[in-house]
Amino acid sequence: MEAKGWIGASLPRREDRRHLLGQGVFAADLSAPGMLELAFLRSPVAHGRIKALRRPGSAPVFAAGEIGPITLLPAGPDMPSFRQAPYPPLAEDVVRFVGQPIAACLAANRFAAEDLVAQCEAEIETLPALPDVAAALAPSAVALHPGWADNRYASGHVKAGDVAALDAPLKIRRRLSLGRQSAAPMEPRAMLAVPDRRTGELVLHISSQGPHTLRHALARMLGIPEARLRVVAPDVGGGFGAKNRLMPEEVVACALALRLDRPIRWVEDRREHLMAGAQAREHLYDLTLHATRDGIALGLEGDLWVDAGAYALWPTGAFAEAGMAARNLGGPYRIAHLDLHHHTVATTKPPMGPYRGVGRTGACFAIERLLDALADETGLSRVEIRRRNLITQQELPRVTASGLALDTGDYRAALDAVEAMLDREAIAARRAAGERIGVGIALYTEQSGHGTAEWAGRRNRVVPGHEAATLRMHPDGSLTLLTAIQSHGQGLETSLAQIVAEELGVHPDVVEVRHGDTGLSPFGFGTFASRSLVFAGGAAERAAQALAGKLRRIAAQLLQTEASEVVLRDGAACAGPASVPLADIAHAALLRQERLPAGEPPGLEAHVTYSPPEEGGVFSYAAHAAVVRVDAETGAVQLLDYCVAEDCGTMINPMIVDGQVKGGVVQGIGTALTEELRFDAEAQPLSTTFADYHLPEAAFLPEIRVTHLVTPAHSTVHGAKGVGEGGAIAPPAAIAAAVEEALADFGARIDATPVSPRRVLAAISR
Amino acid sequence: MMRLTINGTGHQVPAEPRESLAHVLRDRLGLTATRLGCAQGSCGACNVLVDGSPVRACLLPASLAEGEDITTLEGLRDDAAMAALREAFQAEHALQCGYCTAGMLLAARDLILRGRAHDAAQVRAGLAGQLCRCTGYDGIVAAVQRAARTLSR
Repeated sequence: MEAKGWIGASLPRREDRRHLLGQGVFAADLSAPGMLELAFLRSPVAHGRIKALRRPGSAPVFAAGEIGPITLLPAGPDMPSFRQAPYPPLAEDVVRFVGQPIAACLAANRFAAEDLVAQCEAEIETLPALPDVAAALAPSAVALHPGWADNRYASGHVKAGDVAALDAPLKIRRRLSLGRQSAAPMEPRAMLAVPDRRTGELVLHISSQGPHTLRHALARMLGIPEARLRVVAPDVGGGFGAKNRLMPEEVVACALALRLDRPIRWVEDRREHLMAGAQAREHLYDLTLHATRDGIALGLEGDLWVDAGAYALWPTGAFAEAGMAARNLGGPYRIAHLDLHHHTVATTKPPMGPYRGVGRTGACFAIERLLDALADETGLSRVEIRRRNLITQQELPRVTASGLALDTGDYRAALDAVEAMLDREAIAARRAAGERIGVGIALYTEQSGHGTAEWAGRRNRVVPGHEAATLRMHPDGSLTLLTAIQSHGQGLETSLAQIVAEELGVHPDVVEVRHGDTGLSPFGFGTFASRSLVFAGGAAERAAQALAGKLRRIAAQLLQTEASEVVLRDGAACAGPASVPLADIAHAALLRQERLPAGEPPGLEAHVTYSPPEEGGVFSYAAHAAVVRVDAETGAVQLLDYCVAEDCGTMINPMIVDGQVKGGVVQGIGTALTEELRFDAEAQPLSTTFADYHLPEAAFLPEIRVTHLVTPAHSTVHGAKGVGEGGAIAPPAAIAAAVEEALADFGARIDATPVSPRRVLAAISR
Repeated sequence: MMRLTINGTGHQVPAEPRESLAHVLRDRLGLTATRLGCAQGSCGACNVLVDGSPVRACLLPASLAEGEDITTLEGLRDDAAMAALREAFQAEHALQCGYCTAGMLLAARDLILRGRAHDAAQVRAGLAGQLCRCTGYDGIVAAVQRAARTLSR
């Protein structure tokens, strides 16, 4: 075992054992004596006024105003121009989407609670549905929220240079769109709220990506001190963004637990998740690319709209979606002139939340489709068009026209690497044999680990610019790292232990990592925005360095040398041939303080709050390539090969990085080909089961092949960058391009996702 | 009162006729390795073995499982195939959040025992109807083949 060597080790994950034995504990596995289960009466119509609620006489059914005092919180960016649409935990007088909770029904178990729901009925006067952006922005559209002049939460403008003055020889206009999606983690949301009569705390066990911020919002809504609300995320079965916003069900569960002084459990079913959980994507673009005849993209102008649904989820609403999409439309390209208007639109659909790739999946789709069109227009290859426009390694660092501070990397190298992964000869041979094969390429940058300036610039109500770590050595030399990020598949229990082990010269197995519990961890924001490794890893590294300093000072006393001579390795402090086990130092520091150097305080605990110095974030990037075969008779698309050349800086645990990349890519393949939340003209949901909402399955997929480039970041822990979301950004762009190429002889254009057989056939016949 | 045989042990359970086997296992017997991802029969997180074959416990009324020999992941701790699969799943990073894992392991064990895990294409086809949202499946496909190789040695 080397003292240095845990960074970059594909260490098997410590999380695995409990799950492989079926011993993971998820929120729905929990129960408590005297527990009641909750089911919701939900709106059957997309828009209407509640006239009456019929319910059985004395049954425990609670409507708005009956769950105790609730303070609604403003949500969305903190600026007057963002119109307010706070989401009431139970609908007050108006319902605004199918599935919105109207009443809460309690019973001894879920079956009986659903029986009670079936005995209730809301009498609703139907109002016009606003099923999409076009309907919501029509001049005749009813205002969804009182006092709104039109159905926009907000509009924004990204402007750089002067597109109008370009007088470019080529102007390519495209209307593009991305379907509506569900994050669909395999574990639906779930929670158990338990009043603790000893402490007076309410303890909420909940499947959440960010317990501390959730606690803050809940305490304010319920009017109780944060000190008397403990939020615990046990094992969380995937999040991808869907478990990182305040939702009405947890407010109701907590309010009823407080009101009735009993444990209350709510477990979302899949229909509820697809019908009323946070939804994602659904972008529309009308863009014009200005370019030269030799394929240089100069400017981009136009509009983009995001269908943000009926309410703004606390804290950020859906505003980040449209704003991020607009700011990322330039991609990794040298486009200096931007004139982009973005609109966040309210419709009678479920509220939009974040989903892996936030904003950028649409932005990447749009710019890459436009570059493909430019390639076609100029007669250049799709590889060459990108090579001409990519920002080069020599041009980095560079602030893009939209203000993103790209740091380190070599985007052309990623393009070359992914091109080298493709077997062009085999593709040509299959084509020659009559198969309809297409290849598509797309690149992106992934802003990760961004800090205070970035979030404050977005006018966020919560600015996740820091993360804390508490590292504690126990008298026997074992360690506990307390962190406020949340690990729900990302393997952070393992990778954070690797970071601590590297600094302290111990085996990662002696470092316990605890997270997801406001009663244990220091304050922090949780896991989202590809931030946890950069933030919590940075905090853990610095906490370990602080602890290492103290261990060296004490060791110097015990070894009769200078602290500067002491090296920590193999679980001991060493100075030349002499050494003392860390356990002996811990014993001295905690149980035998008379052995400490004069003036050295007892205790072995470091608490560090860390803010990454590059507040605009560090940028991972990748080039993706997809190879498809299209059946022009049926419209079916078969994915033959998928290649990724990515760079997320230094990899702490390459095995985990591969898992994050591949998992993200397959979610992106779902965006590209199979997943769509569909609605009818009355905004009734048409995709409420996994039979209607198709997640990719193994049989549908090729192996995802991944190559790594490694360009360390300047300032982060060991030069690592965030990598959680990136995989999900490029697949729609790459796959749409591949399908279009396969259908080139039809002159078909692929401008919308998912690229379903229906859309392929429509593209062919157009 | 229902009489169920689970992991070799007889249970008398005061379940209602409408309760699914998954519900009885989880909420009446505390056997929570059987997880519910959809309760619509689409995802496979709730797989159990009924007389040795994988069955979706969310769709099976518990009353229909009376008299059958039911095995959950908890009952396969000492099973040789499951031991090989556990080792392979960890080595190949075949799980992330862990929620689909129990159902996936039971489906994978069945593929191996039926001799349907010789190559990647066979494993992918055999895992139809088993959803994982985290891994992208590559790790799972590799792990099933690895466990099959281990067991055939």
